[in-house]
Order: sequence, then C-alpha cells, then structure tokens
Amino acid sequence: MQISTEELEGGITRVVLDGRLDIMGAQQIDLKMNVIAGAKKAVLVDMQKVSFIGSMGLRTLVTPAQAIKGRGGKIVLFGPNEMVEKVLKSSAIDTLIPIHHEFQSAVAALQ
Amino acid sequence: MNSYSENTPAECLTLESKLSEISRVVPLWIERLASLHAISDRTRYAMDLCLEEVLSNIVRHGYACESSRAIIIRYVSQRDGFTLVVEDEAPPFNPLITEDPPIPRSLENASVGGQGIHLVKQFADAIEYEPMPSGNRLIIKFISPETSRAVV
Repeated sequence: MQISTEELEGGITRVVLDGRLDIMGAQQIDLKMNVIAGAKKAVLVDMQKVSFIGSMGLRTLVTPAQAIKGRGGKIVLFGPNEMVEKVLKSSAIDTLIPIHHEFQSAVAALQ
Repeated sequence: MNSYSENTPAECLTLESKLSEISRVVPLWIERLASLHAISDRTRYAMDLCLEEVLSNIVRHGYACESSRAIIIRYVSQRDGFTLVVEDEAPPFNPLITEDPPIPRSLENASVGGQGIHLVKQFADAIEYEPMPSGNRLIIKFISPETSRAVV
C-alpha cells in the first residue's frame, strides 16, 4: 500500500492511496494517516487506485476522519471503484464521510 | 464422507494463524482460483472480503492471536456456484449470532469496530455455521451471476 500527499490550492491536502487497503495495507499507512489527520484541516482522500478495502481499511479512514472533524476540519473521499464504494456504503461510512466522483465537487466540498 | 472433504489439494489452503499471513497468502490463492474457474471480478472481490473478515476474526478472537494454529480453507465447486469452507480449532463460536453494528449517526460517535461479519453477510449469498467436535466450520456460499440470471 502506497500513500503520498499533494498540497492543492485553498489549503487542501490530497492524500493519494494506491494498492490494497487490507489488513497489511491498513497497518502500512495508519501512522501516516494519523499524522496527516493531526496536521491538516481539509483532506481529500483520493481512492481511485485503491483496489480493495476491508473492515480494517475502514478504520484507517474513520479514525483520522474523526480526528480531523474533531479539530474543526473536513474530509472527503474521492473516486472509489464500484466494489470499494459498496463496502463503504454497506458499512454506512458514506453517511459519515462524503464520497465524490467528480474532482471539482470533492474540492468544492472542502472549501 | 461429507462433500467438504472431497477437494483436490489444489483447492485447499492451510493457513497459519497470523494476520500477516492472511494478506500475504489469501489474495494470491483467490486470484488463482478466479483464473481457474472463470470467477467474475465482483465475486472475486466478495470472496476476498469475506475471507479477510472471517480469517482475521479467527486469528484475533478464536485463537486470541496465538500464532502457529491452523485454519483450513476449501473451495468447493457446486452446480450453481461454489462455497468456501473455513475450519478452525478455536473454541466454539457462531459468528452469525452476533448483532449487526448500530448505524452510526455521526462521525464523532461512529464505532470503528464490528463491521467484519456484517460485511460478510452483505457480500456472500449465504452463510452457514456448523460446530465441529473440536472447532468451527463456516460455509460461505457464492452463487455465480450466470446461474442467478438463469434462475430469474
């Protein structure tokens, strides 16, 4: 599992995830996600290259999202594939962290 | 002899009870099965998800993170699809009687646990639990899309 960040205009941080967000994938990026959550207030999680997510991967998204929101920030998910989105919806994560498929709407939701 | 012990060795996987082994071994095994049996990408994802959740529950709760215990997984082809049969030697536990996690009302109050079996119920077509003399057996059924269309 790879994770990289990019600073966009308007103080938005794009976090690009790449790979399987399975048990090991979650362990590989948990610390980095928590560091980002402790420092950034507008986070766009780019999930276009996430091929798999399980319940351990959901924690990797929800825990930082709680920290960001607790600090008055915002977080959105961008571009999950059909099956990854089905997991997010089956666990009602989509009601807690908005999912966007248009990049501009994802950015607008953070402004 | 029951139908779950009639597999060829190629369709049986014995896994060591470590979380790292689940990520290392299971996706490759599923990939090979999907290729051999022309399993669709959606069904393959569902197999992948169900096994990750069921196996990680066995490792963390059934075996209480004690490594070097065995989990046996069998692929059983059937007329209308296939089943994955997961057997362990952990204390008796029927995961299907656990309650679904509450629907979170806000991010602040959301629990980050308890989603595993809930997801298995959502992604498998049927699940059965059987207690074993010294462990547990979970039978996870997947109906092939072609068969379900034919039935409709």
